[in-house]
Amino acid sequence: MRADIMRGAAAVVGVAEQHYRRGEAPHSEKRMTLEVILEACADAGIDPREIDGFVSYAGGPNDGAIIGGALLIDELRWSNMMWGGGGGSVAAAITNAAVAIATGQAECVVVYRAMSQEDTGRLGYAKYHYGSHFLAHGIGSPAQICAMRTQRMLEHGGVPRSAMRSLVLASYRHAQNNPTAQGYGRPLDEETYENSRLIAEPFHLFDCSRESDGAVALVLVSAERAKSLRPDPAYLLAGAQGAPGGYSELIDNDLDEQYMSAGFGPANNGKPGVAERLWSAAGLGPDDVDVVQVYENFSGPAVAALIDHGLCPPGEAAGTFMTVDNLTAPSGKLPINTSGGNLADSFINGLNLAVEAVRQIRGTSTNPVVGAKTSLFIGGPMAPLVSSVLFGHEDTL
Amino acid sequence: MTATEPVSAPWGPAPDGLDQQYWDGLVAGELRLQRCTSCRTWIWGPQAICGHCHSFDIGWETVEPAGTVYSWNRSWYPYMEEYANNLPYVTVLVELPHAGGRRVLGILTDDIEADPAIGDRVVGSFERVDGSAWPLLRWRRAGAISEGEDR
Repeated sequence: MRADIMRGAAAVVGVAEQHYRRGEAPHSEKRMTLEVILEACADAGIDPREIDGFVSYAGGPNDGAIIGGALLIDELRWSNMMWGGGGGSVAAAITNAAVAIATGQAECVVVYRAMSQEDTGRLGYAKYHYGSHFLAHGIGSPAQICAMRTQRMLEHGGVPRSAMRSLVLASYRHAQNNPTAQGYGRPLDEETYENSRLIAEPFHLFDCSRESDGAVALVLVSAERAKSLRPDPAYLLAGAQGAPGGYSELIDNDLDEQYMSAGFGPANNGKPGVAERLWSAAGLGPDDVDVVQVYENFSGPAVAALIDHGLCPPGEAAGTFMTVDNLTAPSGKLPINTSGGNLADSFINGLNLAVEAVRQIRGTSTNPVVGAKTSLFIGGPMAPLVSSVLFGHEDTL
Repeated sequence: MTATEPVSAPWGPAPDGLDQQYWDGLVAGELRLQRCTSCRTWIWGPQAICGHCHSFDIGWETVEPAGTVYSWNRSWYPYMEEYANNLPYVTVLVELPHAGGRRVLGILTDDIEADPAIGDRVVGSFERVDGSAWPLLRWRRAGAISEGEDR
């Protein structure tokens, strides 16, 4: 079977997101999920009863039977939770929906995620997620684990810390044009970034994502159906998930220098990893990407993810490439996180970034990259399972 | 469970017994890690199987607690209430040349205001910790030596 059988087979035709300051969600995760699904269906021009597939990731009790039952859909055909990886599997969830459509298992699949502090607490404090061999040594948060991997990328890998800073400043610059961003009206300059308190070295406060309450939904249908619904579907050109065996899973005993990568690199046997498989399936490469949304739980892993994908050179040269101007829409070489991203817009476990990736194809971003034809979304770097998905305009098919 | 079951600290032997030898080693003042009895590959974190040869015949051996800093982190935010009164603290990931380069974590207890450097040589000891029924592996710098030496 050809790797590109998926190329252009399915498209995102409906999106919706709502976010609130953490702890301030007006409703439960279930209620918010139902709301964004209805909104995404309205955006697509689809009757919600047509939804026959449900995909989510990173946990949550509201599966396809529960949500489909509440909506009284016509029939449930596909109900999947991506296994493992937390936010790392966010892009894989979108690919999973496209797989269902491309193989005829389902016709209209919704990808969704909801987070409410009242229902499920906060991700950054999921203390007992980690075992004794982390906790005994004061490591109880993803921030600290990512910080140590980032420290090696900086100190051993030679990536300047300015690469992280530029990503953060570009995110805040974008947020100033996005009225719904939590960082809107709060511009960030280099001095404020540098003087912000340390959280987990090398991360300062502004290197760390927000946690928001809210919900996000994306509706996918076949390419054929998509054309009949709207002029600007975001076609899924390729998706890939995984990690080298043992990556980020063996209490920091990743093989060789995988430790300072983001997990998208080559397999242990040297064969193509997530990033290479993505490019191969799309028939495109890093130079063909017009705009990127990269999951920045923390700034350092996002830089590592860009390096893994070949979008940014490794080592010292990363600092030359990663400048605020290069990363800012509309005219930067590689505009990144154009809504403000997880840092300056909102954080619904990263699925909000996928909505922005779709907006770039539609031309409806508050920081549009004019004429964007390819829009990349990179899921949770440095997680034990990571994923990417590449969207394309109709012209790329 | 044994008399040394942790009272308040959220760490200690796993319920399935897989890493019991590690914790018993700390009590005995030894760093014990897994090693495949068949192919002699060192294994960490604790596993029921050797990832190299897929043998289930896994033993434990005592390792000299000495190595080099592979990476490090200084925590300023109280992510864990058990360490909230000791901020900031430095955790090091230590590569063990005497255990096939396997890496173990531990808190650095010498002058933590001085940044560690990757490659710094460190020596481990087994320290009693308030609130923890189990001793923990702690590290001190043995003097900075450039990365790559002692390989």
